Amino acid sequence: MIDCRAIKKTFHMGSASLEALRGVDLLVKAGEFISIMGPSGSGKSTLMNIIGCLDTPSAGTYDLDGRAVAGMSFDQLAEVRNRKIGFVFQNFNLLPYATAAENIELPMLFNGKSARQRRRRVEELLQQVGLLEWRQHRPSELSGGQQQRIAIARALANDPPILLADEPTGNLDSQSGEEIMAIFSGLWRQGHTVIMVTHDAGVAAHSQRTVSLLDGRVVT
Amino acid sequence: MALKLLPFYLGEFKKRRRKTALITFAIAWGSLSILLLMSFGRGLSTQFRVAFRGLGDNLVMLSGGQSSVVYQGLPKGRRLRLYAADIALLRATIPEIEFICAESYNNEAISANGKETNRNVHGVGPLFDLMRSQVPAAGGRFLNPDDERHSRRVAFLGWKVAENLFGAEPPVGRQIMINRTPFTVVGVLKEKMQDSMYQGPDAEQVYVPFATYAQVNSQPYVDRIHIQPRSREVSLRVEERARAVLGRKYRFDSADKYALNAWNTIRDAEEVGKIFSGIEIFLTMIGALTLLIAAVGVTNLMYALAKERTREIGIKLAMGARRRHIVTQFVLETAFIFFQGILWGVLLAFNIVSLVRTIPLNYDNFGIESYLTRPVFSLDILLLFLTIMGALVFMAGIFPAVRASRLNPVEALRYE
Repeated sequence: MIDCRAIKKTFHMGSASLEALRGVDLLVKAGEFISIMGPSGSGKSTLMNIIGCLDTPSAGTYDLDGRAVAGMSFDQLAEVRNRKIGFVFQNFNLLPYATAAENIELPMLFNGKSARQRRRRVEELLQQVGLLEWRQHRPSELSGGQQQRIAIARALANDPPILLADEPTGNLDSQSGEEIMAIFSGLWRQGHTVIMVTHDAGVAAHSQRTVSLLDGRVVT
Repeated sequence: MALKLLPFYLGEFKKRRRKTALITFAIAWGSLSILLLMSFGRGLSTQFRVAFRGLGDNLVMLSGGQSSVVYQGLPKGRRLRLYAADIALLRATIPEIEFICAESYNNEAISANGKETNRNVHGVGPLFDLMRSQVPAAGGRFLNPDDERHSRRVAFLGWKVAENLFGAEPPVGRQIMINRTPFTVVGVLKEKMQDSMYQGPDAEQVYVPFATYAQVNSQPYVDRIHIQPRSREVSLRVEERARAVLGRKYRFDSADKYALNAWNTIRDAEEVGKIFSGIEIFLTMIGALTLLIAAVGVTNLMYALAKERTREIGIKLAMGARRRHIVTQFVLETAFIFFQGILWGVLLAFNIVSLVRTIPLNYDNFGIESYLTRPVFSLDILLLFLTIMGALVFMAGIFPAVRASRLNPVEALRYE
């Protein structure tokens, strides 16, 4: 369960400071599918980064499965990201020099899984996203939709309970976008908690509920 | 756990190898330069020592001089000579003497095989060969105690004398005439480097037994007495005691350096050794400092490579990489790059050194090439080089690695 209370995030740039989040409360139960919407600069990506333990709040508390995230060390946060959270980015963020299979393998490498376990899991995931025959291809040889499916497979590598997707269809054509959303819906039905940042109401419609942000505050 | 990822790191390194080729080349070039510098420095030093030892190893050579001070009522300017009997006196009074022998020489007409030449003929006592590095070429021998005991008319030739008289024909067993007296050649000096001498290089000399020399030459005194002390440490004591013993006998002040000339090759060798060790250290330092500058360049390149990979680091951090994963990967990649460069550098240096060493030495004319064509690529040079390189790997690898591991994941993911 994700429990954010009075989360604030201030960025300092020289003498100027920018309040990206101004006291956000958000509760996401396990197995929920929520969308975070809002215009540019509303703080949705900042909130996503904090939920994903890529960043820490300037103030407020964030408990993940009953554990306070504030005060965790760099490596403890890394461990949380590795075991509990799967990331899907708008621009896929695949390693360009690695093959599809190697990209999927990446989170498992930092998890201590054996080569055999990794190979078996990569096969399963490639099968799941329908790209088994593309396993030896590099990202540059794949379409946007295929790259995003590889990114989803990578996010699922360690079977994390939470999937965080930042504009996952933002760089895709509508058909590929629909396919990706179908995968997310399927994963949610399998029991994953899915949190998705989007500015597309059509995409947000796939989720159970939508949280809207404006100027760093939750408005609905 | 980070080392369990070694195959992964290696795999990633292989994929990026083309990007690091320039750095590998720079390290290979730097390694080659320092190794050649060290090898040629060592070779130069070794060749000078070899050439110095061409005269002999650990010798104190005494020869008579002229007194320069008034002593016990005797005037200065007295000519002092050494005699064969002094050998027994010195041996009896100075226990630190290991070997001792006399030598006299004179310029004589030598003929053989229809050719005639003038050369220094030396009468030398037994053990002269051991003391003065007189190694016979294959098929011959040096003068032995029987030759001395029986005053045999046998001669040992410097290789240039042998060439002059006999050309390519084998001289051993042939006859030569020394001052119209026949001598049989028993051996020829093996070619050697020699940069210290008193009557010209040994290659140009003729040696006969001291007893035989005394028969054909009426000179009552000896020109030189060669002493080899029991150890290097006692050489100065031996020299001092020889001055004292001979000073008492011939009534000169033992502190009068001109009355008795003493050439102490041990002291000279130590001084020469210091000079060449200094040159070697200097060359190694130049190499090490050059490498240090190169390492700063390589560190910069590694920084640039790490910066280029900022987004990749961000992806890995998002996927759960710990700091140690990032540090280990960067340090290992630096080590891989250095390993490749060092391997190429070492292989090239070893082959170049081996090739240069095949250039034949010209024993007839010791030019600078005689000192430069025998570089030495030894284990201690390799170990010193690897130690320096190890420090550079650490320097070039650790800073970019630590910087990479301290990146903020969000900023790293945004990096374009």
